Amino acid sequence: MNDIREDIAWAKINKDVLKSLENPRKLFWVILLIAIAAVGVAVGCEVYQYTVGLGVANFSNPHVWGLYIATFIFWIGMSHSGTLLSAILHLMHADWRKPIYRFAEAMTTFSLMTAGLFVAVHLGRVWQIYYALPYPNGRQVWPNFQSPLLWDAMAIFTYLSSSILFLYVGMIPDLAICRDNMNPGWRRKLYTVLALGWEGTDRQWRNFRVTYLTIACFLIPLAVSVHSIVASDFAMSQQPGWHITSFPPYFVAGALYSGCAAIITLFIILRYVFKFEEYMTLPILKKIVRLTFAIAMVWTYLNLIEYAAVWYGHDQASKDVLIQKMVGPYAPFWWTMNICGSVVPFIMFFKRFQTHIPVLFAVSLLLNLGMWLERWMIVAPTFSHGYYPWTWDHDQWPSLVQWGIVFGSFGWFTLLFMVFCKVFPSVSMYEVKEMVYHRSQATKKLEATGKLAASGKGAH
Amino acid sequence: MSKRHLLALFSNFDEAEAVVQELRAVNLKGFDADKDMIVKSPIEHPEVEEFVGDKPVYVQWFTLVGALTGGLLAFTLISASQGNFFAQLKGGKPIVPFPPNFVLTYEMFILGGVYISVLGFLICAGLPARRSPLYSAKVSEDQIGILVQADESASSSLKSIFTKHQALEIQEEAGK
Amino acid sequence: MSVTSLLENYSEFRHFHPVDDVPHNPYKWAMSIDLDACSGCNACSVACYAENNLPVVGREGFAHGQAMHWMRIERYWDEDGREFPDQGAQFLPMMCQQCEAAPCETVCPVGATNHTPDGINSQIYNRCIGSRYCSANCPYKVRYFNWYDYPTTDNVWPAEMNQQLNPDVTVRGKGVMEKCTFCIQRVTVAKNNAKNEGRLIHDGDVQTACQQACPTSAISFGNLVDPESKVYKQWKAQQVELDKDAQIKDKEEGGSELRGYRIFEELRPYPSVMYLERVRESAV
Repeated sequence: MNDIREDIAWAKINKDVLKSLENPRKLFWVILLIAIAAVGVAVGCEVYQYTVGLGVANFSNPHVWGLYIATFIFWIGMSHSGTLLSAILHLMHADWRKPIYRFAEAMTTFSLMTAGLFVAVHLGRVWQIYYALPYPNGRQVWPNFQSPLLWDAMAIFTYLSSSILFLYVGMIPDLAICRDNMNPGWRRKLYTVLALGWEGTDRQWRNFRVTYLTIACFLIPLAVSVHSIVASDFAMSQQPGWHITSFPPYFVAGALYSGCAAIITLFIILRYVFKFEEYMTLPILKKIVRLTFAIAMVWTYLNLIEYAAVWYGHDQASKDVLIQKMVGPYAPFWWTMNICGSVVPFIMFFKRFQTHIPVLFAVSLLLNLGMWLERWMIVAPTFSHGYYPWTWDHDQWPSLVQWGIVFGSFGWFTLLFMVFCKVFPSVSMYEVKEMVYHRSQATKKLEATGKLAASGKGAH
Repeated sequence: MSKRHLLALFSNFDEAEAVVQELRAVNLKGFDADKDMIVKSPIEHPEVEEFVGDKPVYVQWFTLVGALTGGLLAFTLISASQGNFFAQLKGGKPIVPFPPNFVLTYEMFILGGVYISVLGFLICAGLPARRSPLYSAKVSEDQIGILVQADESASSSLKSIFTKHQALEIQEEAGK
Repeated sequence: MSVTSLLENYSEFRHFHPVDDVPHNPYKWAMSIDLDACSGCNACSVACYAENNLPVVGREGFAHGQAMHWMRIERYWDEDGREFPDQGAQFLPMMCQQCEAAPCETVCPVGATNHTPDGINSQIYNRCIGSRYCSANCPYKVRYFNWYDYPTTDNVWPAEMNQQLNPDVTVRGKGVMEKCTFCIQRVTVAKNNAKNEGRLIHDGDVQTACQQACPTSAISFGNLVDPESKVYKQWKAQQVELDKDAQIKDKEEGGSELRGYRIFEELRPYPSVMYLERVRESAV
């Protein structure tokens, strides 16, 4: 249970992190291979679906949406924790975020990229996807700006490009370190270009600080707006089970929840694969676990309040959808989702499990299973028990094509993420230095005032 | 008059600060502490900014302009495109509906803000740039560098200031 | 140009339809269906398949719920303990209700579905990208998606059968949404004929395929703003008003004796199809 050492040499930080770009453990290649295989499965399914038509995914009229939309929401949701760690905790000066925010921010970017693919996969005529872009044309035909799907597209584009910029700007000083230390080769050329000639001058740092802070300030409302807009896809419609006022905050909480769970998973993987034991320390893990637990409770509350509102609101159609979820064909999934989302997190309540890596790994995966099911349980049951009696009991089991693409999306995400961590420093070197520096300053101050003896061993 | 560049490396901020203070005080030919002295550090460090002195940062003005332009542009363009000669009634809602347009305006507000902030950062920080004539990889590791530019005649006195404060290394190069 | 149009017509762009709006003029296509006359024979559905080139998806496609019946006959059974065949069945022909404020229109990301000046909910196949949001938001679930490329699929229109395809109607490729159009191709022809003769369409000039095929004349179709038309008279007689989300007659104490109603009126889509309620055996 050692935290990052305060006396760790700055040169050693550089060396350790740069090593992660060179020689990860063997597991890295295993993960990469599995990921590529999974992507292969998805590509195969998509090619088949593209040529034959969406019927092979086993949709039906009126059950027109399925796993694609559910998984789309899942990936959008996943992206939110990166912003939580990198932007919100940055504003709050929580220094424990520093060794882990880089990979969390990368997670944001790549899960958004994965989510974007689902928009394409879902479409009936993906080759006409550009119709949804507001490109100027002589006929003055524009997309329909009233559609929540278009807001989605706009929000995701904004979020994706902003988080790429945020990730990149925050990485410039580290890219300069890579540039200075790498052996000549394509990588060094890449870093030289990307570092933009960063030298760490006073002028650069001043502007850097303000810019980073500004983008962080923008990203927070942006992240909230992105998932509330995704919630609007449902809340702005008229269907029972979707038309619920509390959806936007509920979606945002769910997003942060699944994202935090994913951060725990990736934390554990990265820590092992890239030998980051000294930086991704257990006290940091403990803090994320506690944060996740708190968000789990927020989600549980909003989830229950949604049921309560539907029940007490007594709109018969919505109530029937809820009853269908509880006892209908989707019941096993609905109950699993509630158990995974609201009961499993209580494992994190126990102190001894808060740093227990195998348990946490399992728990984090279960939480995300619950959150994925949550999205499916939002999308699907409304189609099988909507307003119109003709739709009732019209459940539709997704075909293997749908499952294949959903499965492959995890591979796609892992592939992008793992390649990123191999090419770019996934621990922020300059910020770890800052963290170490500030902690050692604090220790010095304590020593100077003679309080160290009273506060026990170690400053933290 | 040929100029000369000097880069000195220090192991901690206190020494660097002392050097900066001293450079401020000295009166050397062709050397102006405000213009010819650049402090480089491996971390973002508020104390460096304190002892180097207050210099205004203009990035936030870019942000303001970017965000406002983005939002304004979004609202005008979207409303205008809805009001083109194809104006189509949809779902009985007004042809220029405010709630959706506000959502999109909000997104463009942020998009404009972020993009122009980054642009502002590049402009204000002078990036991308060629690296200065004297550069040491040590700066990106753990040392603080002070780069000065002065007349050739002043170089020896500058060097003595650096050595007085335990400079770890001094690099020297004739300027163009 | 767009900005000028925006500024010039601003007030026109800022009202709700149909509540704050003037009625459609000179045409507003509407329907009324008398459920008492409906015998559930499915002739309307068959006529629709023939008229609108609807693909026949076959047994397997039907089992997967991928049938393309723009006009479907729904069966509702009395649940009073009687067994089939004595169990009273009631039939309801269901097709796109051509809402005045259609929930499907606002949600389409590309604006492929719009409200036309003669009060129909149009679907532009060329523009559709297949997000299927319209179907998700349709309270009646009357939109049908081309899950496969039906024109090239075996046995949809086998060799001789493709000779019966209607040349006035396009066949739809995979990945687009489609639905009842109120036989827009017939309306267009009638409109052109009337225009050539310098008049408006008279009642009876245009019939929809389902109306034409109905053996009991349960379906009437016509111009709701033409006081001479049968549809207008029926709506008037049943006191059903287009731009109301609850009819005044229903607020009468003890309820109205009139049979006219619209489905899901309270969701405010302002549908253009009025049904005449069946007089139930139990009520007699």
